[in-house]
Amino acid sequence: MEEYIKNFLLKTNAVLEYLPTKEIAKALNILQATYERDGRIYVFGNGGSLALATHWVSDFNKTVFDHHLDKHSRRFQAIRLPTTEEELTAWANDVGFEMVFAGPLRNYIQDADTVVAISSSGNSPNVIKAVELAKSFKVPVIGLSGFDGGRLNQLADAKILIPTEIGAYELVEGIHGVVLHSMTKYFKDYFDHLLERT
Amino acid sequence: MIISRAPLRISFVGGGTDLAAFYRISPGRVISTSIDKYVYVAINPTPLINKVTARYSVVEGVNHARELKNDRIREALLDLGIENNIEVGTFSHLPVGTGLGASSSFAVALMKGLYACLGKRIDRKEAAELACRLEIQLVKEPIGKQDQYAAAFGGFNIFQFNPDESVDVEPVLLDYKKRLDLEDHIILFFTGITRAASDVLVEQKANVSEKINTLKEMADSVLPFKERLLAGDFKGMGEMLHQGWLKKKTLASKVSNKIIDEFYDAGMNYGAWGGKILGAGGGGCILFLAPLEKKEAIKEALKDIANKNNLNDFKEVPVRFMQSGVEILSTDGININH
Repeated sequence: MEEYIKNFLLKTNAVLEYLPTKEIAKALNILQATYERDGRIYVFGNGGSLALATHWVSDFNKTVFDHHLDKHSRRFQAIRLPTTEEELTAWANDVGFEMVFAGPLRNYIQDADTVVAISSSGNSPNVIKAVELAKSFKVPVIGLSGFDGGRLNQLADAKILIPTEIGAYELVEGIHGVVLHSMTKYFKDYFDHLLERT
Repeated sequence: MIISRAPLRISFVGGGTDLAAFYRISPGRVISTSIDKYVYVAINPTPLINKVTARYSVVEGVNHARELKNDRIREALLDLGIENNIEVGTFSHLPVGTGLGASSSFAVALMKGLYACLGKRIDRKEAAELACRLEIQLVKEPIGKQDQYAAAFGGFNIFQFNPDESVDVEPVLLDYKKRLDLEDHIILFFTGITRAASDVLVEQKANVSEKINTLKEMADSVLPFKERLLAGDFKGMGEMLHQGWLKKKTLASKVSNKIIDEFYDAGMNYGAWGGKILGAGGGGCILFLAPLEKKEAIKEALKDIANKNNLNDFKEVPVRFMQSGVEILSTDGININH
């Protein structure tokens, strides 16, 4: 049994070797610019990716500023789409499942905003639909994908592709979690540092 | 009403290699960053007022766009076929003529805003290209392309200007610690002397063929400058700024003058690692990279020189580096298709 677990970790380690650090850095710059112009960040994905989106949003909005909640005049405005299950089911039932992200996104999106799209295959039709909407608004897209990156990796401005064999969700989603946590930690350290030096 | 904005910029090395007279022979290269000073443009369609109003340092009210004195607004409106029923206003943290690229930031924000007003969103690359076309081809300014790209893209970047007119944009991925440390080591002053870049650049353009080797060295210095930046070697960067400034001074007679030399020498004598005049030269802002403990002495020394020369507008300009480039801040009441 331990052998099996070790094998899994070996595979995870092998993929971590190829983490696209330059693209993650570009994503940090995109988030920084969005903060500077007081824009909002919309995050979405299907299944496990939606769970990652929700987790990241709560961390990013609160944990980044945790140590000094009252000392920053502005905070991040990350929003998971759709914001309610009611909205999700209404779009899926009434319009079609491919509109569950693009529909709500169209309600919110403004020129100053940014999109973070999460899709292991990079080809989920509902994710791509929303990304195409963002592109038409010339809004920057941070794309977290796996396998061969799919269409999402082609469209994204920051191309965070975790290259794996097709179908290796268990590897891609785990590492997406690591990447998202690194982004939160970066800004937490940055905003702490800003206050400490003054 | 549409409100757009674009940041001003500080360029470190490679300035002058973005002139077509040079990059058509050999690729030009510049490294720069956008700063927390912006030019804002407000555009308001006035369907019931059959006039064009331009509000900048003066207010112009005319019946047709072609009568406008402001060349950038006039040429942009005419090129887009907007003849009247519009107001264009601008607001800026700093005036033009300070060497921080304000007139190109204005051009970039203007193009982004006017296209939005016509119902079309343009991206950063399109905004940079359209602003270059406006300033260089339509207004016929003898300027280069670095400022339009710096204002449109935002952040720390290396721009490479290729002979086929394409421009490669390579972001310099600097972590927050190095970025904030670099901000701490920079001192920027407005000399109190404003100038039109075109005066200097007309001569500089005419000199390109005989200065080709100097310009090649300046373009080549961008990559080692980036290496020092990523390593946090501010002293090494300062020394490169100094070498770059010495080269830049040889490009045209008006790049420097007696007062600027006096400012620069004082900065160096009081412990700066290096510095330069920003923009084309002849006036505007002067920048130093210096050890933290030398900053106060440098400030005092420069203040004395400004007083001695009756430069009443001389002032230190605190700056932070920004990631954001050209942006639409508000599209209130305007329907943008996509």
